Amino acid sequence: MSQAMGRLWVRFLPEIRARVAILEAAAEAVAAQNLTLSDQEAAKAAAHKLAGVLGTFDLARGTDLARELEATYSRESVPGRDSAKKLTSAAVDLRAMIETRKSM
Amino acid sequence: MVNGAVDNAAAALDNKVGGISAVPRKILIIDDEDDIREVAALSLETVAGWEVIKASSGAQGVARAAEHRPDAILLDVMMPGMDGPATFRELRRNPDTAGIPVLLLTAKVQGNDQRRFADLGVEAVLFKPFDPLMLPSQISDALGWN
Repeated sequence: MSQAMGRLWVRFLPEIRARVAILEAAAEAVAAQNLTLSDQEAAKAAAHKLAGVLGTFDLARGTDLARELEATYSRESVPGRDSAKKLTSAAVDLRAMIETRKSM
Repeated sequence: MVNGAVDNAAAALDNKVGGISAVPRKILIIDDEDDIREVAALSLETVAGWEVIKASSGAQGVARAAEHRPDAILLDVMMPGMDGPATFRELRRNPDTAGIPVLLLTAKVQGNDQRRFADLGVEAVLFKPFDPLMLPSQISDALGWN
Protein backbone atom coordinates (compact mmCIF):
# COMPACT_ATOMS: atom_id res chain seq x y z
CA MET A 1 0.00 0.00 0.00
CA SER A 2 2.75 2.46 0.91
CA GLN A 3 4.57 1.80 -2.35
CA ALA A 4 1.34 2.38 -4.26
CA MET A 5 0.78 5.61 -2.32
CA GLY A 6 4.35 6.60 -3.18
CA ARG A 7 3.63 6.08 -6.86
CA LEU A 8 0.48 8.20 -6.60
CA TRP A 9 2.48 10.95 -4.87
CA VAL A 10 4.94 11.02 -7.74
CA ARG A 11 2.07 11.01 -10.25
CA PHE A 12 0.22 13.93 -8.66
CA LEU A 13 3.21 15.96 -7.48
CA PRO A 14 3.11 18.25 -10.55
CA GLU A 15 -0.50 19.16 -9.75
CA ILE A 16 0.33 19.70 -6.09
CA ARG A 17 3.33 21.84 -7.02
CA ALA A 18 1.12 23.93 -9.29
CA ARG A 19 -1.29 24.62 -6.42
CA VAL A 20 1.58 25.72 -4.17
CA ALA A 21 2.83 27.96 -6.98
CA ILE A 22 -0.57 29.66 -7.03
CA LEU A 23 -0.25 30.34 -3.31
CA GLU A 24 3.29 31.66 -3.72
CA ALA A 25 2.12 34.02 -6.45
CA ALA A 26 -0.85 35.14 -4.37
CA ALA A 27 1.41 35.93 -1.40
CA GLU A 28 3.63 38.03 -3.68
CA ALA A 29 0.59 39.85 -5.00
CA VAL A 30 -0.59 40.58 -1.45
CA ALA A 31 2.86 41.99 -0.64
CA ALA A 32 2.62 44.20 -3.74
CA GLN A 33 -1.02 44.98 -2.89
CA ASN A 34 -2.16 44.02 -6.38
CA LEU A 35 -4.05 40.80 -5.63
CA THR A 36 -7.08 40.65 -7.91
CA LEU A 37 -10.39 39.03 -7.02
CA SER A 38 -9.60 36.33 -9.55
CA ASP A 39 -6.20 35.71 -7.90
CA GLN A 40 -7.90 35.51 -4.53
CA GLU A 41 -10.44 32.96 -5.79
CA ALA A 42 -7.66 30.90 -7.35
CA ALA A 43 -5.65 30.97 -4.13
CA LYS A 44 -8.68 29.97 -2.11
CA ALA A 45 -9.38 27.04 -4.45
CA ALA A 46 -5.74 25.92 -4.46
CA ALA A 47 -5.56 26.06 -0.67
CA HIS A 48 -8.81 24.11 -0.39
CA LYS A 49 -7.54 21.34 -2.65
CA LEU A 50 -4.22 21.13 -0.81
CA ALA A 51 -6.01 21.00 2.54
CA GLY A 52 -8.02 18.07 1.31
CA VAL A 53 -5.13 15.99 0.02
CA LEU A 54 -1.88 16.67 1.88
CA GLY A 55 -2.96 14.91 5.07
CA THR A 56 -3.79 11.83 3.04
CA PHE A 57 -0.15 11.72 2.01
CA ASP A 58 1.00 11.98 5.66
CA LEU A 59 1.51 15.75 5.51
CA ALA A 60 -0.94 16.72 8.26
CA ARG A 61 0.91 19.97 8.94
CA GLY A 62 0.48 20.79 5.26
CA THR A 63 -3.27 20.36 5.60
CA ASP A 64 -3.25 22.70 8.62
CA LEU A 65 -1.29 25.37 6.77
CA ALA A 66 -3.49 25.05 3.69
CA ARG A 67 -6.61 25.43 5.85
CA GLU A 68 -5.22 28.63 7.37
CA LEU A 69 -4.50 29.97 3.88
CA GLU A 70 -7.96 28.97 2.68
CA ALA A 71 -9.52 30.83 5.60
CA THR A 72 -7.45 33.95 4.83
CA TYR A 73 -8.29 33.96 1.15
CA SER A 74 -11.96 33.23 1.87
CA ARG A 75 -12.49 36.52 3.66
CA GLU A 76 -14.46 39.12 1.76
CA SER A 77 -11.72 41.72 1.94
CA VAL A 78 -8.43 41.35 0.12
CA PRO A 79 -5.63 40.50 2.56
CA GLY A 80 -3.68 43.60 3.61
CA ARG A 81 0.08 44.10 3.31
CA ASP A 82 0.44 43.12 6.97
CA SER A 83 -0.73 39.59 6.05
CA ALA A 84 1.91 39.18 3.36
CA LYS A 85 4.67 37.90 5.64
CA LYS A 86 2.44 35.20 7.13
CA LEU A 87 1.08 34.18 3.72
CA THR A 88 4.57 34.03 2.24
CA SER A 89 5.89 32.02 5.16
CA ALA A 90 3.05 29.51 4.84
CA ALA A 91 3.65 29.12 1.10
CA VAL A 92 7.39 28.64 1.71
CA ASP A 93 6.67 25.99 4.33
CA LEU A 94 4.27 24.20 2.00
CA ARG A 95 6.85 24.23 -0.79
CA ALA A 96 9.50 22.79 1.52
CA MET A 97 7.12 20.09 2.73
CA ILE A 98 6.12 18.84 -0.69
CA GLU A 99 9.63 18.98 -2.10
CA THR A 100 11.16 17.01 0.76
CA ARG A 101 8.43 14.39 1.16
CA LYS A 102 9.87 11.04 0.21
CA SER A 103 7.87 9.19 -2.45
CA MET A 104 8.30 5.76 -0.79
CA MET B 1 -28.06 -28.14 15.12
CA VAL B 2 -29.57 -27.10 11.78
CA ASN B 3 -30.11 -23.54 13.04
CA GLY B 4 -26.51 -23.41 14.28
CA ALA B 5 -25.27 -24.51 10.86
CA VAL B 6 -27.31 -21.77 9.19
CA ASP B 7 -25.98 -19.17 11.64
CA ASN B 8 -22.42 -20.32 11.00
CA ALA B 9 -22.91 -20.11 7.25
CA ALA B 10 -24.35 -16.60 7.54
CA ALA B 11 -21.45 -15.52 9.73
CA ALA B 12 -18.97 -16.98 7.28
CA LEU B 13 -20.68 -15.16 4.42
CA ASP B 14 -20.28 -11.79 6.15
CA ASN B 15 -17.02 -12.38 7.96
CA LYS B 16 -15.64 -9.44 9.86
CA VAL B 17 -12.05 -8.72 8.82
CA GLY B 18 -10.52 -5.91 10.80
CA GLY B 19 -13.82 -4.07 10.98
CA ILE B 20 -14.38 -4.21 7.24
CA SER B 21 -17.04 -6.42 5.71
CA ALA B 22 -15.48 -9.15 3.61
CA VAL B 23 -18.61 -9.32 1.47
CA PRO B 24 -17.58 -8.03 -1.95
CA ARG B 25 -18.81 -4.47 -2.34
CA LYS B 26 -19.00 -2.16 -5.31
CA ILE B 27 -18.38 1.52 -4.61
CA LEU B 28 -18.76 4.45 -6.95
CA ILE B 29 -16.40 7.36 -6.25
CA ILE B 30 -17.51 10.72 -7.66
CA ASP B 31 -14.82 13.39 -7.33
CA ASP B 32 -13.45 15.89 -9.84
CA GLU B 33 -9.99 15.86 -8.22
CA ASP B 34 -7.85 13.16 -9.80
CA ASP B 35 -5.58 12.68 -6.78
CA ILE B 36 -8.41 12.21 -4.28
CA ARG B 37 -10.27 9.87 -6.63
CA GLU B 38 -7.21 7.70 -7.23
CA VAL B 39 -6.13 7.51 -3.59
CA ALA B 40 -9.68 6.64 -2.49
CA ALA B 41 -9.87 3.96 -5.19
CA LEU B 42 -6.49 2.55 -4.15
CA SER B 43 -7.65 2.46 -0.54
CA LEU B 44 -10.93 0.66 -1.22
CA GLU B 45 -9.41 -1.78 -3.71
CA THR B 46 -6.25 -2.60 -1.76
CA VAL B 47 -7.36 -2.43 1.88
CA ALA B 48 -10.91 -3.74 1.48
CA GLY B 49 -10.75 -5.63 -1.82
CA TRP B 50 -13.82 -3.82 -3.06
CA GLU B 51 -14.65 -3.10 -6.68
CA VAL B 52 -14.42 0.59 -7.51
CA ILE B 53 -16.07 2.60 -10.25
CA LYS B 54 -14.89 6.15 -10.76
CA ALA B 55 -16.51 9.32 -12.06
CA SER B 56 -14.96 12.75 -12.41
CA SER B 57 -18.13 14.83 -12.42
CA GLY B 58 -21.61 14.84 -10.98
CA ALA B 59 -23.22 14.18 -14.35
CA GLN B 60 -20.88 11.28 -15.10
CA GLY B 61 -21.47 9.98 -11.60
CA VAL B 62 -25.26 9.93 -12.03
CA ALA B 63 -24.89 8.01 -15.31
CA ARG B 64 -22.44 5.49 -13.83
CA ALA B 65 -24.61 4.99 -10.77
CA ALA B 66 -27.59 4.04 -12.94
CA GLU B 67 -25.42 1.77 -15.09
CA HIS B 68 -23.48 -0.05 -12.37
CA ARG B 69 -25.87 0.08 -9.37
CA PRO B 70 -23.10 0.27 -6.75
CA ASP B 71 -23.59 -0.70 -3.13
CA ALA B 72 -22.67 2.82 -2.06
CA ILE B 73 -21.52 6.13 -3.49
CA LEU B 74 -18.71 8.29 -2.16
CA LEU B 75 -19.56 11.80 -3.36
CA ASP B 76 -17.36 14.90 -3.28
CA VAL B 77 -19.08 18.09 -2.25
CA MET B 78 -17.20 20.77 -4.18
CA MET B 79 -17.26 20.04 -7.88
CA PRO B 80 -17.63 22.41 -10.82
CA GLY B 81 -20.97 22.34 -12.61
CA MET B 82 -23.16 19.87 -10.71
CA ASP B 83 -21.81 19.95 -7.17
CA GLY B 84 -22.22 17.25 -4.55
CA PRO B 85 -25.61 18.33 -3.18
CA ALA B 86 -27.02 18.78 -6.71
CA THR B 87 -25.68 15.38 -7.71
CA PHE B 88 -27.24 13.83 -4.61
CA ARG B 89 -30.64 15.33 -5.46
CA GLU B 90 -30.37 13.98 -8.99
CA LEU B 91 -29.51 10.51 -7.68
CA ARG B 92 -32.55 10.63 -5.42
CA ARG B 93 -34.83 11.69 -8.31
CA ASN B 94 -33.87 8.64 -10.39
CA PRO B 95 -35.68 5.46 -9.27
CA ASP B 96 -32.68 3.42 -10.45
CA THR B 97 -30.35 5.18 -8.02
CA ALA B 98 -32.64 6.54 -5.29
CA GLY B 99 -31.97 3.66 -2.91
CA ILE B 100 -28.17 3.70 -3.12
CA PRO B 101 -26.64 5.03 0.09
CA VAL B 102 -24.50 8.13 -0.39
CA LEU B 103 -21.63 9.34 1.75
CA LEU B 104 -20.40 12.87 1.20
CA LEU B 105 -16.67 13.51 1.11
CA THR B 106 -15.63 17.04 1.96
CA ALA B 107 -12.73 19.18 3.10
CA LYS B 108 -15.17 21.71 4.59
CA VAL B 109 -15.21 21.39 8.35
CA GLN B 110 -17.22 24.45 9.45
CA GLY B 111 -20.25 23.68 11.62
CA ASN B 112 -22.85 25.30 9.37
CA ASP B 113 -21.56 23.30 6.38
CA GLN B 114 -21.87 20.08 8.34
CA ARG B 115 -25.44 20.94 9.33
CA ARG B 116 -26.33 21.72 5.72
CA PHE B 117 -24.95 18.39 4.58
CA ALA B 118 -26.70 16.44 7.31
CA ASP B 119 -30.02 18.05 6.30
CA LEU B 120 -29.61 16.67 2.76
CA GLY B 121 -30.35 13.14 3.87
CA VAL B 122 -27.03 11.47 3.07
CA GLU B 123 -25.92 8.46 5.10
CA ALA B 124 -22.78 10.10 6.43
CA VAL B 125 -20.26 12.87 5.87
CA LEU B 126 -16.61 11.87 5.70
CA PHE B 127 -13.83 14.39 5.84
CA LYS B 128 -10.75 15.08 3.77
CA PRO B 129 -7.96 14.46 4.27
CA PHE B 130 -8.79 10.83 4.97
CA ASP B 131 -6.48 8.08 6.07
CA PRO B 132 -6.38 5.60 3.17
CA LEU B 133 -5.91 2.72 5.60
CA MET B 134 -9.07 3.70 7.50
CA LEU B 135 -11.41 4.83 4.72
CA PRO B 136 -12.96 1.38 4.10
CA SER B 137 -13.76 0.87 7.78
CA GLN B 138 -15.22 4.38 8.01
CA ILE B 139 -17.53 3.51 5.13
CA SER B 140 -18.37 0.10 6.61
CA ASP B 141 -19.14 1.65 10.01
CA ALA B 142 -21.33 4.37 8.50
CA LEU B 143 -23.35 1.87 6.50
CA GLY B 144 -23.53 -0.86 9.12
CA TRP B 145 -21.65 -3.32 6.94
CA ASN B 146 -19.69 -4.67 9.87
